[in-house]
Amino acid sequence: MELVVFGLASAGALAGGIGVIASRPPVRSALSLLLVLGSLAIMYLLLAAQFIAALQVIIYAGAIVVLFLFVIMLLHMRSGEGRVEKLRWQGPVSYVLAGLFLAALLYAIWTGAGPHMAEPAPGFGTAESVGRSLFTKFLLPFEVASIVLLVGIIAAVVVGRPLAPP
Amino acid sequence: MPPNVVVDWLYVGVFAIVGTIMAALPLAVVWLLAPRADLPQKTLTYESGVIPFGQAWAQFNVRYYLFALIFVVFDVEVIYLYPWAVVFRRLSAFAFVEMLIFVLILLVGLAYAWRKGALEWV
Amino acid sequence: MSASDLWSIVPELWLAGLAIFLLLVDLLTARKSLVGVVAVMGLLLSIIPIGSLLTQGARTVIFGSYAVDGFAVFFKILTVIATALVVLAAIDWLPGRSQYEGEFYALLVFTALGLVLMAASTDIILLALSIEFVSLTSYVLAGYLKGDVKSNEAGVKYFLYGAAASAVMLFGFSILYGLTGSTNLYEIARRVANAPLPALYLSIALMLSGFGFKISMVPFHQWTPDVYEGAPTPVAAYLSVASKAAGFAALVRMLMVVVDPGRLNWILLIAVLSAVSMTLGNLLALPQRNIKRMLAYSSISHAGFLLIGVAAFRGDFGTPGLLIYLLGYMFTQLGAFFVAALIGQQLGTDDIPDYAGLSRRAPVSALLMAVFMLSLTGFPPTSVFIGKFYVLAGAIDNGLLWLAIVGVVNSVISLYYYAGVIRAMYVMPAASTVPLREPAALQVALGIAGLGTLLIGLYPQPIIDLARSAVLLLRI
Repeated sequence: MELVVFGLASAGALAGGIGVIASRPPVRSALSLLLVLGSLAIMYLLLAAQFIAALQVIIYAGAIVVLFLFVIMLLHMRSGEGRVEKLRWQGPVSYVLAGLFLAALLYAIWTGAGPHMAEPAPGFGTAESVGRSLFTKFLLPFEVASIVLLVGIIAAVVVGRPLAPP
Repeated sequence: MPPNVVVDWLYVGVFAIVGTIMAALPLAVVWLLAPRADLPQKTLTYESGVIPFGQAWAQFNVRYYLFALIFVVFDVEVIYLYPWAVVFRRLSAFAFVEMLIFVLILLVGLAYAWRKGALEWV
Repeated sequence: MSASDLWSIVPELWLAGLAIFLLLVDLLTARKSLVGVVAVMGLLLSIIPIGSLLTQGARTVIFGSYAVDGFAVFFKILTVIATALVVLAAIDWLPGRSQYEGEFYALLVFTALGLVLMAASTDIILLALSIEFVSLTSYVLAGYLKGDVKSNEAGVKYFLYGAAASAVMLFGFSILYGLTGSTNLYEIARRVANAPLPALYLSIALMLSGFGFKISMVPFHQWTPDVYEGAPTPVAAYLSVASKAAGFAALVRMLMVVVDPGRLNWILLIAVLSAVSMTLGNLLALPQRNIKRMLAYSSISHAGFLLIGVAAFRGDFGTPGLLIYLLGYMFTQLGAFFVAALIGQQLGTDDIPDYAGLSRRAPVSALLMAVFMLSLTGFPPTSVFIGKFYVLAGAIDNGLLWLAIVGVVNSVISLYYYAGVIRAMYVMPAASTVPLREPAALQVALGIAGLGTLLIGLYPQPIIDLARSAVLLLRI
């Protein structure tokens, strides 16, 4: 049963991933990203990490894909015709290198999976265990995260506010 | 994963699929049954009888994007509040102070964005 | 979490509080250079709690995620001094160029906080978070001058490259977590002995790409020339020194604590990357006309040299040499960029031929620039010479004689383009003889940089002792 759901979710993630890179209209890329994020949320559910799955949908699919769509709307007027690619050998070389990387990853998984893997802790990914670890083991990352968010607001204002009219 | 959890989430899955079908079904029915007339005038935007001229895409103002960005930041802050709300009774008083510091730092961010005029809608 | 834990992170709390205070000062005042002055004072005051950490023993605090040892304290001091000098230089350089002046100083102090966290994290989640923190502020600082096309280009290029590098690095971290089940570096070190080798190789390679991006190591160096050329000059100075230093701290901690070189020969990998970085950086710096681009390629080459210190970590010379080199390099590189900022502000140009006759128009700055250029080559008695000496001694001690020879040859090659600047300043006839106005704060920053360069070169013993004691405490 789990295998079927995992298969469907991974197929969705792969299709979405290829859709993000390969589709020509940018809105279609953003919606393929939505498919990827939804499939990832289903995979988190398979690991019994309900809280993380809900977060994935709320933050990623709910806020970040919206940001992507905002940017696509912002830049729609400026999207001229595609410029001529000057380094055309980079395409095929990138396919070869990506294939090598995939081979290395598969080899690492094939030799590494099994008894060497770490077991997830019980209650992994539930709201309670995340809350507990946020205030014990990961306290400093938690407070640093608040400062990173503050810096995000400053960065948004500094970069985003248009120059004052002369 | 214990089987009863699988069954619970299966309900959610069925719900999602049925919801999608309910949204897609009317469109499919229309496509199958409704008469079709492929006239070029049918693709024009409706403007109360007046023939539209010029381009429909106005330049999008960047302040709307700023709003979305600041929304994301505070959305993430709310996300951190959820697990804290689940466990805070069992943690020490110091955890409350830590969460307070977290919220206060982001309050400084809100004050900064407010003063710099990033929250002006018009 | 106990009170003594809280006491150990006072420097970080102070920096965070200072940065937020600077934001509030910026909201309340119209005189933005006041924010800069407050920043410098706050940073200098933070040396007191940092210094008090030196007397305490090495340990990890806050549930093992943060290290308080001599190594971390060294980088705290380095970061704070670098930030204070850059803020000082920016007080004279920035007014009039941007409508967001106060935030510039606040962002610099935030970056300092992130760098300090980066150098001392022993938990890969905190490490990843602090690297992202530093990257975020750096992207904004690099693209700060919104009216300037080159600054926008620098910000966008830095962001695209940095985001990709961070993503790859996080993939490496996640593989490491999957192999060992823990995010604490020391726990990982204990359990990684059972991990299969191919996955470990993959993880190290992926992590190196992220760290390599931060330290401008070949082949992750492509962003450096464009970003240094386009970014505001004080920001380029800061990036080339502070984020490089913290990147090295994180790299050394990761490699020395986690990976056993008997099992996975990362020394050879680092040595090869070091040789390639030195050579490529030097060769590409030779034809440069723009001084910021030249300094960028030279910083790639210096990163290669610093990597010798990483590869030669056994014994008494390698890692202390790395620390001394970083400190000396900080003063020298900041000084060189500050002179570039001065000329850029007064003459409006960044081209080396336009430095002609500077010795008559701004004699003090020209003399200091000559000192900085000679120091970057590695001439005695300057600070970078001491650093290179120790690093090369470490290489010879560790059996990497070929690497030491490559280093020496590259130092000789680099003399050509450094001497080109000196030649322009002293030998070439000036276009006009109007003396240059040298703003006060920039002069003070330049003076401190020059003083640091020469002092460490002439009297290095205290720094050597500090570096040696800092390294002894790295392994708990």
